[in-house]
Amino acid sequence: MARLQATEGCATAAFRVDRTVVVWPLWSGSNPAASDSCFRRCAMNLRDIWILYTMELRSALRERSIVVNSILMPIFLYPVLLWVMFSTMTFIQGLNQGFTSRIALAGDPPFGHEALIDSLAARDDVLLDRELGVGEAISRLQTGELDALISFAPPTEEGAALTGNFLVDVDYDSSESRSRTAVSRIRDEVQAYRIQWISRERESLGITSEEGALFRISDENVSSQEDLGTLILGMMIPLFLSIMVALGCFFPAVDTTAGERERSTWETLMTTSASRLSVVAAKYLYVATMGVSAGVLNVLAIFVSIGAVMAPLLAQTEGITFRLPFLAVPVMMVGAITLALMLSAGMMILAAFARTFKDGQAMVQPVYFLAIIIPLLLGQQTDRTLTAGIAAIPVANVAMMIRDAINEIYLWEHIFQAMSVNLVVVVFCLWLARFVLRFEDILMGSFDGSFWRFAKDRMRPWGKQKETA
Amino acid sequence: MTMRNGTVSVHHLRKMFYDESRGEVKAVDGVSFSCGAGEVFGLLGANGAGKTTTLRMLSTVLKPTGGTASVMGHDVLSDPEAVRRSLGFYSASTALYPRLTGRETLNFFARINHYPGDRVAARVKDLIERFGIEEYANARVEKLSSGMKQKVSIARTIAHDPPVLIFDEPTVGLDVLNALEMVKVIRELRAEGKTIIFSSHIMSEVEKLCDRIAIVHRGRLLALGTLESLREATDQHYLEDIFVHYVTKAEGLDGAVVGAMGELEEAP
Repeated sequence: MARLQATEGCATAAFRVDRTVVVWPLWSGSNPAASDSCFRRCAMNLRDIWILYTMELRSALRERSIVVNSILMPIFLYPVLLWVMFSTMTFIQGLNQGFTSRIALAGDPPFGHEALIDSLAARDDVLLDRELGVGEAISRLQTGELDALISFAPPTEEGAALTGNFLVDVDYDSSESRSRTAVSRIRDEVQAYRIQWISRERESLGITSEEGALFRISDENVSSQEDLGTLILGMMIPLFLSIMVALGCFFPAVDTTAGERERSTWETLMTTSASRLSVVAAKYLYVATMGVSAGVLNVLAIFVSIGAVMAPLLAQTEGITFRLPFLAVPVMMVGAITLALMLSAGMMILAAFARTFKDGQAMVQPVYFLAIIIPLLLGQQTDRTLTAGIAAIPVANVAMMIRDAINEIYLWEHIFQAMSVNLVVVVFCLWLARFVLRFEDILMGSFDGSFWRFAKDRMRPWGKQKETA
Repeated sequence: MTMRNGTVSVHHLRKMFYDESRGEVKAVDGVSFSCGAGEVFGLLGANGAGKTTTLRMLSTVLKPTGGTASVMGHDVLSDPEAVRRSLGFYSASTALYPRLTGRETLNFFARINHYPGDRVAARVKDLIERFGIEEYANARVEKLSSGMKQKVSIARTIAHDPPVLIFDEPTVGLDVLNALEMVKVIRELRAEGKTIIFSSHIMSEVEKLCDRIAIVHRGRLLALGTLESLREATDQHYLEDIFVHYVTKAEGLDGAVVGAMGELEEAP
């Protein structure tokens, strides 16, 4: 329950966190002495938090790894990563198209169908060997010296009733991409030959092409190139945004907890007059700020790079166009902020158990991977939208909400639900952080173990509940 | 044991830890003392005697398991923020922020410890001049030599002009010249009327600096008094011999504490 109070020239709001009464100064008049007295009475005050927060930020912005991971990477990694990805795809595609398939032919082609073999042999990307025996061909196929072996057989069942019909039997190695490409080229050739043969036979019987095509499927792709672009964006942006926010929180969370212990500045901070709550609040705000800035910078980089980098890059090969709905940007921002608030709280709790920066990195990794894996898995489910169930899953709800927004789907009720769930998670994490820091051995870094050991030993009613030296 | 009404008052302070291999460990076991303005109070003890734990409880970094302590009338348990505002804590484990400059460091510690905002700039300027760090004031701490870091570190300890100062093994890791500089600064601070609690295991420093000395062993206070009174009580001249005398006696007389003036008191 919150309580408002006005005494000695200052107004405060008091509320209860765990078992501690938190007093926030709201107004302190013009008398400096009254103002000072007001601040001094507060268990957690904004002035201390601001001083600590600005110190943390100033210090962080002078650390190369934090600047690179929380600011530069979100801005530049996105376009660079896309450029590398599409360049690699184009390169691999070129490699696949460039090589010659080594295909062996066992036996003679069926009578009257020699043209099929001639057309295959005429291809520039096929090298046909007619001399190789079946045994030798299979052996070479297994060692990778040959890509496919063709043999012809009489058709069975219904196919056998048609005069001159035949079966093309292809042996290949599905574990080799060269071999799969060779089969694909054979299929293309047989298909083209079949269409040609049917057309010729139809004409010899005096049947026109219209008469011959009694039952056929006529399909039309109604999706535009822009829709395809939206599909790609919907798969990529939630994942990239999540990675960037996680990366933005990762180094500051470890640096401000385990890093401080390693540098022996933690105890220095503990001897200042700032309350423990103020210290935790300032550190949390600092980590969240770095995460939010990474997310927001990433959103802006996406917005700018879509026009300047991605569209021309993809237009060369696919002709796909990209458009980001204007309303999607604020939704992405809100998503990035709540994600940063959650991840920074989770990462700080885990890193609080580390004594060194290296330990901290190892302890925080699970949260980082979670932030990547969840959007990665959801990215495959392109036909799903945000539901009440998904809205209840942290991280997943943000990823889905952003993808919906890119597709111009705004399910406000579920978005509100998702944000509420995320805020509950943040409050729980902060409560947990406060609970954890009640233990002096964890506060001073003498606890030998991770969060999981702490949970096992001290968060159960039958746990040891004892502090170590 | 004689107690004084001073700026720092410690009464039957206890701290227990749980160790997986040793079980319950009494790090501090009923320590009592008090000290006043303009006094350098020495805590003398071997490594692991409980000096640092006592000082950490006094600076509210750790909570006592039992007993009470107050600094400038503020109780360490009920008003820890006020206690920390009233004292400056210096030890080998309280390092400086490497990415801040000396000036920023002093500014930060003065402000966070609630030194009046309108006087912070002047205070920082005074400290920079006093410790002769003008030339390096705008360089990052990580770039400073160990001597310069030490000066900035002392300056940050007194940045908010606290009435009580705790120096926990302040000369550990320092070369002779820097250690002498530290002793000089502590003397100056005493002359300014500060209450100084000085912990060390180096007898010569304690002998030179401290007005009164408390000998701590296995978390317990064995003796407390001026150097002269300890000499009289033990019939030993050198502090090293005095220290050995009390420790040997305590090891033989388990459950008892030898008072500064020679009388035997029951352990609290």
